[in-house]
Amino acid sequence: MTSLAVRSIESGYGEVQILWGASVELGPGKLTTILGSNGAGKTTLLRTIVGLLPAWKGNVLLDDRDVTRLSPHEKAELGLVLVPEGRQLFSTLTVLENLEMGSTPKHARATMRATIDQVFGLFPRLAERQTQLAGTLSGGEQQMLAIARGLMSKPRILMFDEPSLGLSPLLTMNLFEIIRRLKRESLTMLLVEQNVQMALAVSDHAYVLERGRITIEGPAREVRGMEQVRKSYLGL
Amino acid sequence: MSLEALLPSAIDGLMLGFVYGLAALGLTLIFGVMKVINLSHGPIIALGMFAVFILFSGFGVNPYLGVLAAALVGLLLGVAIYFVAVDRVINATELTTLLATFSVNLMIIGVATVIFTTSPRSIDIDLGALRAGNVTILGTHGVAVAVAILVAAALYGFLFRTRPGKSIRAVANNRAAAELMGIDSRRMLALAFGIGTALAMTSGALLATLFSFTILSGGTYELKSFVIVVLGGLGNPTGALVGGLVIGLLEGVLTVFIPVAWVPVVEYVIFVAVLLLRPAGLLGARA
Ligand SMILES: Nc1ncnc2c1ncn2[C@@H]1O[C@H](COP(=O)(O)OP(=O)(O)OP(=O)(O)O)[C@@H](O)[C@H]1O
Ligand SMILES: [Mg+2]
Repeated sequence: MTSLAVRSIESGYGEVQILWGASVELGPGKLTTILGSNGAGKTTLLRTIVGLLPAWKGNVLLDDRDVTRLSPHEKAELGLVLVPEGRQLFSTLTVLENLEMGSTPKHARATMRATIDQVFGLFPRLAERQTQLAGTLSGGEQQMLAIARGLMSKPRILMFDEPSLGLSPLLTMNLFEIIRRLKRESLTMLLVEQNVQMALAVSDHAYVLERGRITIEGPAREVRGMEQVRKSYLGL
Repeated sequence: MSLEALLPSAIDGLMLGFVYGLAALGLTLIFGVMKVINLSHGPIIALGMFAVFILFSGFGVNPYLGVLAAALVGLLLGVAIYFVAVDRVINATELTTLLATFSVNLMIIGVATVIFTTSPRSIDIDLGALRAGNVTILGTHGVAVAVAILVAAALYGFLFRTRPGKSIRAVANNRAAAELMGIDSRRMLALAFGIGTALAMTSGALLATLFSFTILSGGTYELKSFVIVVLGGLGNPTGALVGGLVIGLLEGVLTVFIPVAWVPVVEYVIFVAVLLLRPAGLLGARA
């Protein structure tokens, strides 16, 4: 089981600073969630963790190894994988090719066939559409493929950015079922999710990100009970 | 004008079209993958010609082995050009990448002109000919077509059947997502540039077995490549192959009616007309 520590991260776009020293810890085998309103900087934080954006200050530690300056593909090779917001599929590649690209890290290649069977077990719809171009899938199917592609890399730490976006209520239930299953297999995960209610229900630990700073942190159960969280994020 | 007189030059042009298509394939691959218009394309074609020439006249190497050598040198040269000139400006505006590859063009032409001078060269090979009626197909032309088809097929096999090929397509489609999946996108861009360069050099090498040439001959074929690529849709490999055949055929037929010197003019007109009327190319944009 792998852990991830994000220490006092600062980053942003051009001159505009978005993150102001955010710190987050993902315990080994634990599911952690980050709450925050639109524009709080959740996606920016995830992009900085994987290296799509450079960290201006602070560190990212993977099992105590400093990986802050590694490029995204080097981090994926180490098992740190993000299922990005908005799917970001290879639209001109087939479903099967998207999955194959998911298994690029060396530790994932040898078992690619078996992993493909596994994700087809989770998403039978994808099995039916193997040879179809990813760009022609329905929104829900595309989201399934994005998640399946992430699983293909045999991640040690898997981060989701808004995975239920565009999914029907039924597919959202399926998604959370899959997340629970991965949790039972002790995969370390980070979940950013608009469906705060469900996210808090499955998570072990929770953070609240406000204007680039972590303002609340604690066990998910406790965070769920907090007055401020209930008002701002659960609409209660 | 009778069909009988037209047929031989039509066939000749069509066959040449395969070799043009190969050069255009290199140009369009580089553009399709990294949105860089490679202005060093022409000089690289000329280097392909001279690679075969040097090996043949200097060392007695069979010209077709020379073609193979040109392809390999092209791959290495392309990777080197990518890291020296293109990588540093890959995220810059299109004008910047144009200038970067144009400076490579100037460097190659400058150095190669000093070494090779601009005097015409040719490679003397005779593979006989095939005759049917008034149609004559030279052996060298037949082999050039066969090699071009083989290389194009190999490229498709590579892009659609191998992991590096699929990775190049993934990077072309979404570089950030490719990185997230563990693909070293910089390496894939360098490889794609290398392959594009290898295609241009191969095409030049084949042309050297057909016609005489100078170090400046690449320019003519660069123009043809641009016309073909625009005709077939920028970044579309199949379009480049079809466009190559169209331009080859057109050239073959045109030269029956008008002086050869006018052919580039017609090609320019087509180029501008397509850009104005069908900017996505006659075959339409790639999905
Ligand atoms: N490419 C960009 N260039 C400039 N500013 C950006 C860019 N992307 C995001 N921002 C800004 O950074 C801030 C944080 O955006 P971010 O996408 O991280 O928010 P988020 O918490 O993920 O929001 P959401 O819940 O809507 O996905 C916003 O103010 C946004 O406008
Ligand atoms: Mg976001």
